[in-house]
Amino acid sequence: MKSAPTTAMLRSLLTAVPGARWRLVASILLAAAASGASVALMGVSGWLLSRAAEFPPVLYLQAAAVGVRFFGISRGVFRYVERLVGHDLALRLQQALRLRTYDALSQTTLLGRRRGDLLQRVIADVSAINDLVVRVILPFCSASLVILGTTVMLGRFSPLTALVLLATSVLAGVVVPVAAQRATHRLDAEVAPARGRLADEFHELARATTDLVANGHTAATLARLAERDHALREIERRTAWTRGLAQGAQLAATGVAVAAALLIGGQAVTDGRMAPRLLAVLALVPLAMHEVLANLTQSAQTFTRTRSALERLDEVITAAPVGVGDLPLDSSADTPGIDVSHATIGWPGHDPVVRDFSLTVGPRERVALVGPSGAGKTTIAATILGAIPAQAGAVTTGGRLGYLAQDAHVFSTTVAENIRIGDKDASSERIQQVLDLARLPLAPDRFLGEAGSTLSGGEARRLAMARLFAHDSDVWVLDEPTEHLDRETATALMDDLWRAAAGRPVLVITHDPDVVASCDRSVSL
Amino acid sequence: MAGPIHPRLLQRVQATKRYVAASVLVGVISAGLLIAQAWLLAHCIVGIFNARTVAPFTGQILGLIGVFAARGLLAWTSETLAHRAAAEVKSELRRDLAAARLSNPVRTDVSSASLMRVATQGLDDLDGYFSRYLPQLGLAVVVPFIIGAAILWADWQSAIIVAFTLPLIPVFMALIGWTTQQSVARRFAVADRLANHFADLIEGLPTLQAFSRARAQRRGVILTEDANRRETMKTLRVSFLSSFALEFLATLSVAVVAVTIGFRVVFGHVDFTTALFVLVLAPEAFLPVRQVGVHFHDSADGVAAADAAFAIIDGPAPSLPAQSSAPVPPPDARLLVENLTYRHPGADHLVIDNLTLTAHPGEVLALTGPSGVGKSTLLTLIAGFTTPTSGRILLGDHPISALDREQWWARIAWVPQTPGMVRGTVADNVRLGLPTATDEQVTEALRLASCELPVDKPVEDLGEGLSAGERRRVALARALVRIRHGQATWLILDEPTAGLDADTEARVLDSVKASGAGAIVVTHRPAVISRADRVIALTPANLPAGADA
Repeated sequence: MKSAPTTAMLRSLLTAVPGARWRLVASILLAAAASGASVALMGVSGWLLSRAAEFPPVLYLQAAAVGVRFFGISRGVFRYVERLVGHDLALRLQQALRLRTYDALSQTTLLGRRRGDLLQRVIADVSAINDLVVRVILPFCSASLVILGTTVMLGRFSPLTALVLLATSVLAGVVVPVAAQRATHRLDAEVAPARGRLADEFHELARATTDLVANGHTAATLARLAERDHALREIERRTAWTRGLAQGAQLAATGVAVAAALLIGGQAVTDGRMAPRLLAVLALVPLAMHEVLANLTQSAQTFTRTRSALERLDEVITAAPVGVGDLPLDSSADTPGIDVSHATIGWPGHDPVVRDFSLTVGPRERVALVGPSGAGKTTIAATILGAIPAQAGAVTTGGRLGYLAQDAHVFSTTVAENIRIGDKDASSERIQQVLDLARLPLAPDRFLGEAGSTLSGGEARRLAMARLFAHDSDVWVLDEPTEHLDRETATALMDDLWRAAAGRPVLVITHDPDVVASCDRSVSL
Repeated sequence: MAGPIHPRLLQRVQATKRYVAASVLVGVISAGLLIAQAWLLAHCIVGIFNARTVAPFTGQILGLIGVFAARGLLAWTSETLAHRAAAEVKSELRRDLAAARLSNPVRTDVSSASLMRVATQGLDDLDGYFSRYLPQLGLAVVVPFIIGAAILWADWQSAIIVAFTLPLIPVFMALIGWTTQQSVARRFAVADRLANHFADLIEGLPTLQAFSRARAQRRGVILTEDANRRETMKTLRVSFLSSFALEFLATLSVAVVAVTIGFRVVFGHVDFTTALFVLVLAPEAFLPVRQVGVHFHDSADGVAAADAAFAIIDGPAPSLPAQSSAPVPPPDARLLVENLTYRHPGADHLVIDNLTLTAHPGEVLALTGPSGVGKSTLLTLIAGFTTPTSGRILLGDHPISALDREQWWARIAWVPQTPGMVRGTVADNVRLGLPTATDEQVTEALRLASCELPVDKPVEDLGEGLSAGERRRVALARALVRIRHGQATWLILDEPTAGLDADTEARVLDSVKASGAGAIVVTHRPAVISRADRVIALTPANLPAGADA
């Protein structure tokens, strides 16, 4: 299980989070104590019964009886405390990792890059650290301690039995889970694309339903879906087969350990080298060990999953930042406007999307930047806004720039807080004022987003407008302001935008002819 | 949650029934094997203990290995069975979901996003239900009783201890669950909201960066994460209590059985073999019940997934019958909309009120009117995707609601506001209209639709790679091959709201007219309206101004 980035990440997080190391040690010890208690319960009980069968004075049994009761009670208690300490540690590490992720992402320019899936994935990947601690590290480390402890204890009575138990435990607890993980890892690599193909099929079906149906493709679509589903099932079947085999192998290993204990211990009893009452201990302990080891197959598989998630995350965190992240607030010229002359524009480290590009937006001017999708219009916007440098040529801007993104995010908070992204000190009067200006009749304290109500496409765009209005800016860059809106909504929205612009220089990136027509001039790519 | 087993999964999906029966059978066999294992183990240990020699017992030891091997095989089989059941159920539900969507394509109650979520990740939650929860449930209803009976037969006093504590486990769980339910639910809600905060910020990062606020939000991240951890820990402290109760009761009662029976051995009330037999069996009686508790969450996710799937599958019936023997009217039949009224399900106002109009083959009928007047709805009613509240639509003398739906759809070329694209090439997307279209026919249709894309240009998922305008033109070409070379006699075209050139559409309409087909077009563009033979302006009062029938 080679895992350099994951180990390094875990190590640095353990160092960075105060108290993380002792919490880790404490939770491993507690987990080992809990598992150890159930093994000890079986061992001591076996001893108690064997001793009782020798009919000693009752007094001789008292110590063992106390031990049995102690282990009976302590197991649950240890487990409960272990889970609390372990989850607390996992959450602390997750918190630190989230902060690192946020730092890395907030310092790299995301503006205008299609990174929706990356962001989604990052959010899910961060929680893998939680699983790594709770479901992988704690079970494996504590099981190792229990295996070692049990081997040492049994070694005092019967070294050979102890060695056999060690061997079968390592087989059931490490070899089988790791082999199963290796085998299923290969299958998992096939599952992901198969699952992706099935999801693609459903996407297509969901988005193009009427087209498929009206063109008579119902049966063909269902047949293709069934084919994809079958392919996925086939791989999943082989995974289940491997998993089942691993479970069976663990039980067989336990059987071997029990039988070996009986044979070796029995021989020692025959030879008079071992007291007969210890035989029950030797035979019952492997039985209890099985419960400790059984879940490790699941842990090994969780490890594969968490490792790849954390490796992906590591790439994001350690990637060199692109651009400036937050847009610069200061500008290079005094008069409000934009002047791009003979610029080569592209993402740092990538081929330029446009060469020898010139554009000026003077005072009170409205300029449309027109071009087919994929021509690099948003990259030009990111360059003008100062998020990324021009690869060659000069880009100068005057005054503070305000940017209306095509897909501005609606944060899951109140309307007012969403607008305060534009101006953190905006008073409630100011909020109401920009809401009126954006013609968005929403209560400022209304809760939006996931936990609140959702907005229509037009309302979301107007909320972004209100945010722009609240922002103290002298020049506007509008990115596809009418995209995905119906005609009437788009026309009304543009009218309001132009009115609010109030003579500011405006650059509109668009391929809407109506918007182009309302500008003073247009620049084509 | 409706009960331990989802009733509809059991009734509706045949594979579930077989699997529940199989998991009970697995339970019976494992109980038998566990009893055999305990019996052999006790006899070997006591035999060697008394005889001070191992030789006579090698046979029994080998038997013990055999029992473990059998248990291993059973575990393997059970895992494979669980997978097979989960896979069959998932496939069946997926197929039903897809069929439900295709038979009723414009349902407003299910978004595309939720359909996709349910069909992919949602149904995968059934894996946990089938491979972990149900098998344990099968064991839990069988194993404790059989093992309990074995203990009862061996030593009734120990059986009483087990019989007394075993039912306490579900009782305690329910009790703890019941008393803590509200506070857990409340804390979960808070923890959930806090957890979403990070996702919200990350997704909103580009917006924050645009207003130079991303770095400033770092402090917010720290504060929310602290609050998040504290809230989550509060929740966990309570929710771990129920598993604590489970483990505590189970281990404690094994300890009580061990101590009690130990002292009874000393006094000669029980023999050593029986005592060991009971000691080995007692934990096995508790294990399945504990495991059910552990996997209870898997069941909740699986049940939620099944509920979501059934909600979609059991939605409103499609408006056109799947099969019908009604004769198909001739190609030159007119299309008559008669006293048509439509109200969205659950809405109180009418979208279309008593509308009557006629469309003739070979003519272009333009429908105009402001937003929300029901133009697009009228098109979905004509296409038969939606059932009218009252009134009917006739093709010739036959209501389309009586036609075989595939045959009616063969007669229409449908171009919605945002046409759907399939993965493949531009040509594949044109051939969606007529799979048998030749290369020349495809090229010709694309040319007529002013689409200059190379026919072999790849089209990715959801039309990625084509602009909105290009998708539109490909859809027009698709409709053209269907009309010019296929059986379609009606173009049903909903005009996009985004700005696209009207000239192309006007040209396509000319071509449709030339082929003798009729067109029903929702539009507000002068260039398109000028090509129309008749224009019907729908008004919000639902009375078509200037309608002529």
